[in-house]
Amino acid sequence: MGRRELRLLESRRLLTLLLAGVFLWSLSSVDWKGPLIHTGGVGAFWDFLSSLFPPDLSPGFLRLALTASWQTLAYAVAGITLAVLIGFPLGVVASGSVSGSPRTGLGLAVAVRFTLAAMRSIHELVWAVLFVAAFGLSSLTVILALALPYAGILGRIYSELFSQVREEPLRSLRASGASPFRVLLYGRLPMALPDLLGYTFYRLECAIRSAAIMSFVGIRGLGFEIQLSLNDLLFGQVWTLLLFMVGMVVVVDLWSTRVRRSLVS
Amino acid sequence: MSAASLNGSHLIEADGISKSYGRVQALAPMSITIGQGERVALAGPSGSGKTTLLYLLAGVIQPDSGDLLLGGQDLTRQKPGKEKAGLVGLIHQQYDLVPHLSVLHNVLAGRLGQWSLFRSLISLVWPQDRHVAEAALAQMGIADKIHERTSHLSGGEQQRVAMARLMLQGSRVILADEPVSSLDPARAEDLLEILTALASDSDKTLIASIHAPHLMRKHFSRVIGLREGRIEFDIPSEEVTDQVLEKLYDLDRSEPFVWGGGN
Repeated sequence: MGRRELRLLESRRLLTLLLAGVFLWSLSSVDWKGPLIHTGGVGAFWDFLSSLFPPDLSPGFLRLALTASWQTLAYAVAGITLAVLIGFPLGVVASGSVSGSPRTGLGLAVAVRFTLAAMRSIHELVWAVLFVAAFGLSSLTVILALALPYAGILGRIYSELFSQVREEPLRSLRASGASPFRVLLYGRLPMALPDLLGYTFYRLECAIRSAAIMSFVGIRGLGFEIQLSLNDLLFGQVWTLLLFMVGMVVVVDLWSTRVRRSLVS
Repeated sequence: MSAASLNGSHLIEADGISKSYGRVQALAPMSITIGQGERVALAGPSGSGKTTLLYLLAGVIQPDSGDLLLGGQDLTRQKPGKEKAGLVGLIHQQYDLVPHLSVLHNVLAGRLGQWSLFRSLISLVWPQDRHVAEAALAQMGIADKIHERTSHLSGGEQQRVAMARLMLQGSRVILADEPVSSLDPARAEDLLEILTALASDSDKTLIASIHAPHLMRKHFSRVIGLREGRIEFDIPSEEVTDQVLEKLYDLDRSEPFVWGGGN
């Protein structure tokens, strides 16, 4: 036991040394004579920053920003809803807590965990590219591209939250004759619910971000408008759009806090 | 069902059951028979095996050796479910309710072994058998708490919710692990009153771990004394004297206990 720990410690030190060596060696490839930072960029970045004042707040543009935000939000909400519908049952199975026989339950859980990992290992933009090829630039493309990786993430976290609840109340339910599925309904689900909701809301925030960058494959929304304004060097408009983006995330955060508080008390 | 369990003499038959956790022997091989309607108090210091014995009888854990028959059925081979729930019910020391559910749903959980899956599901929205739960809570004296979140109740109230759940479960044997350990004397008296009334109403068997001699004498018919995983005595509760219990709980005692021996 002690020897094994020692060996682990030694191999860890060796790895640290190796990584440090690689880093030092990588420094040799840097051209130290030329300027390290592209100095011209500083000026451009400063232009960009200073154009925050004033952001474009003309009524016409605000209406456009609002419409774009609404579009992005709608995509995110629809995507997350579908992700919950897919991820929830998969998460239940992956937690291995509903099967009668442990062996088939474990086999099924491993298979589902693998599926969830596959779904989330592909980025939503990559899914989007695939779906654009299949369905074109439609809402279905965005919603599916968001739903699949997010279902993979949600399912994984849900399964962990289901298996982390206190065991004693579950044991007590089993003693009352409750089957594993009933134990899930009356024990695991109510005990995990505040965390399930909190995490889902957090993922909704992430989905808003992801929906915005769907502009890379040509989907309309906040990201699309930001791209257009950037191309025209209208930084004032960019800032307005970014403020809408931040505003949406803040609103979702406040909403989530309220829902969680009403559940806990 | 065997003739013995029908005439009510041996609802529980344990023959040479034992339990160890790793190298620690929690329960040495022991044999006990308990009849229907008996009220048995388990006495003994901490670590004497009271909880282990209760858990074995509840079928929560399995014995390493021996046979355990409940109502003529082998409890060790019975899967948890409807039939087992109809045989034994257990009140844990920490009550072990689902804190996030309402009192009503925690009580109704006693019916989960009897309900169909569909009924269990819709009960979360439209509570089923509601009047039964209301009656049980009224008997426990906490009818007004029915819609409260269970985590908002005091320990004593939660214990009553656990008992109401047990009433709905309707098992033939009620096991209670230290039911009065965290209650003041008046409340302890009150609780045992309810528990024994619950048992005698429908001729249920009650087995509970209890430490106070006057409670044993008043509410129980038989006392089993445990020490270091062995049965030291098994006597009618009238024969329990303070002296007998003092010897059972004595920390410094090292010589083997000889029950009934003069010296």
